[in-house]
Amino acid sequence: MLRASTTTVRNSTRLARSFATVVDSASGVKVAAIDNGQPTSAVTFLVKAGSRFENKPGVAHALKNFAFKSTNTRSALGTVRESELYGGVLTSSLSREHLALTAEFLRGDEEYFVDVLASFITGARLPRHELNELVLPLVEADSVAASNDPTTKALEAAHTIAFRHGLGASLFATQHPSFTIDDIKTFATSAFSSGNIAVLGTGIDQAKLSKLVEKFLGKIPSSSSAATPSTKYYGGETRVESTNPLQTVFIGFGTTGAPSNDLAALASHVAPEPHVKWSKGISPISEATPSGTTVQTVYLPYSDATLFGVLIQGENAADTKTAAQAVVKVLKSQVSETDAKKAVAKAKFRAASEADSRDGVVSLLGNKVFAGADASIETTLSSFDAVTPSSISSAASKLLKTKPTYVVVGDITALPYADEVGL
Amino acid sequence: MTVFGPLGPSLANYVRSSKTLHRWLKPVSLWYANLAGYRRMGLKYDDLLVEERFDVQKALGRLNAREAYDRAFRIKRASHASVVHADLPKDEWVSASEDKRYLKPHVLEVVNEDLERQKWDNLTVSRHR
Repeated sequence: MLRASTTTVRNSTRLARSFATVVDSASGVKVAAIDNGQPTSAVTFLVKAGSRFENKPGVAHALKNFAFKSTNTRSALGTVRESELYGGVLTSSLSREHLALTAEFLRGDEEYFVDVLASFITGARLPRHELNELVLPLVEADSVAASNDPTTKALEAAHTIAFRHGLGASLFATQHPSFTIDDIKTFATSAFSSGNIAVLGTGIDQAKLSKLVEKFLGKIPSSSSAATPSTKYYGGETRVESTNPLQTVFIGFGTTGAPSNDLAALASHVAPEPHVKWSKGISPISEATPSGTTVQTVYLPYSDATLFGVLIQGENAADTKTAAQAVVKVLKSQVSETDAKKAVAKAKFRAASEADSRDGVVSLLGNKVFAGADASIETTLSSFDAVTPSSISSAASKLLKTKPTYVVVGDITALPYADEVGL
Repeated sequence: MTVFGPLGPSLANYVRSSKTLHRWLKPVSLWYANLAGYRRMGLKYDDLLVEERFDVQKALGRLNAREAYDRAFRIKRASHASVVHADLPKDEWVSASEDKRYLKPHVLEVVNEDLERQKWDNLTVSRHR
């Protein structure tokens, strides 16, 4: 009884510290940490080295796969074996804006793992033979897997026709990339400087993390944040032939400027996922969707643009067309008061449950940490309270006035054209 | 590990570190290298490295395109010289300044990687807190 009550007290004090304050360390690197009292810690080095910043197509993808290879302090093998001894997990992932280098480890091992992450930033050797022997096979495997996945293919094509340059650059290198090791080195030198790096920790004390970052990233060259021309939205239609049995249609719209919660709420409004298992759901889309066809909303916020859309996948082109027509009908209809309330609650829950996972925290707060803004989960969630039915409706009507981004992947002779689904 | 040959243990560093020894033995080494005759066949010393080994094979894969092409060309030219039982014309001989160890650094790198792997494979772990 006594034990139970003490644990509750301890947990409540820990939970009180569930926000991150962004601190500029002396080297100019932004540091933010959240400690919810988990048994493990994770540290993510977020680098502005996503595909929108790359100097040649595919270079960002190669640099992502170069993570945790040999540095001035450790060889590639040494990094892996030593991390295994500590029982940590090292991952690198690439988005259109950021390269995320993450280490997850037991509490107490932070000094070693921050050193591993920092040594790639400060002393990556990037030798040519590692590119050929270790990195290019990984790059090729990623690219092949991406080209066989209709969802990835549709979203890649959608980004390209929606934004053309910058955010339109593909996340994946082509299967026979034209870059050399020197391109990767140039890209790495320009990206690995103080203004381009933010450090996010979960399950670790802010002061401790700042101290370690100071220790290992102290001598990093200082720079202002990398800037790219601001994103413009174009839109258009493209049809990609694919032998994959899944027939895919993507109907999307883009906006520029900072992502707004209205769109997140609209995405939840359109999302036909059922609230209980084994049910079809009550949204008009799910009622019109033939069985075997799935409809999911895609809401991808970036620092200066948002891609919002619906991905429809079915076993045959006719079913996919029926579902796509239902989606367009819902997009064009008015949002009622009750629906708007439901949508806001759903969007808020989505954002909150995203913040439960480590990847979610990084994607939710990453851009805010770079902007030096208030990067707490509480403010992110409370900002949803400003969304009203009329703001959702006006966001939807504004979207529909822009040129849609329409992509089909699959049997292009049978899949519908944009005007056939009512766009 | 090879006992003899270019990849075996060598006293070269010791000789280089001593001024007197270096002054006495340098002419002998130059005389020996010329006497060995590989330069007259248009080869460099690293072309003679025993290549039927995994580490040297891996090192050969790390040469850049230019080095790999030149190596293949030299070996082909030397094989032809061997078939016709004649040295190359004098202007095609490899001079002492051209006879660079282009492959050895790569081989050493691979050898060190193998040694490191052995080290990690046979590690006894004790943790300090």
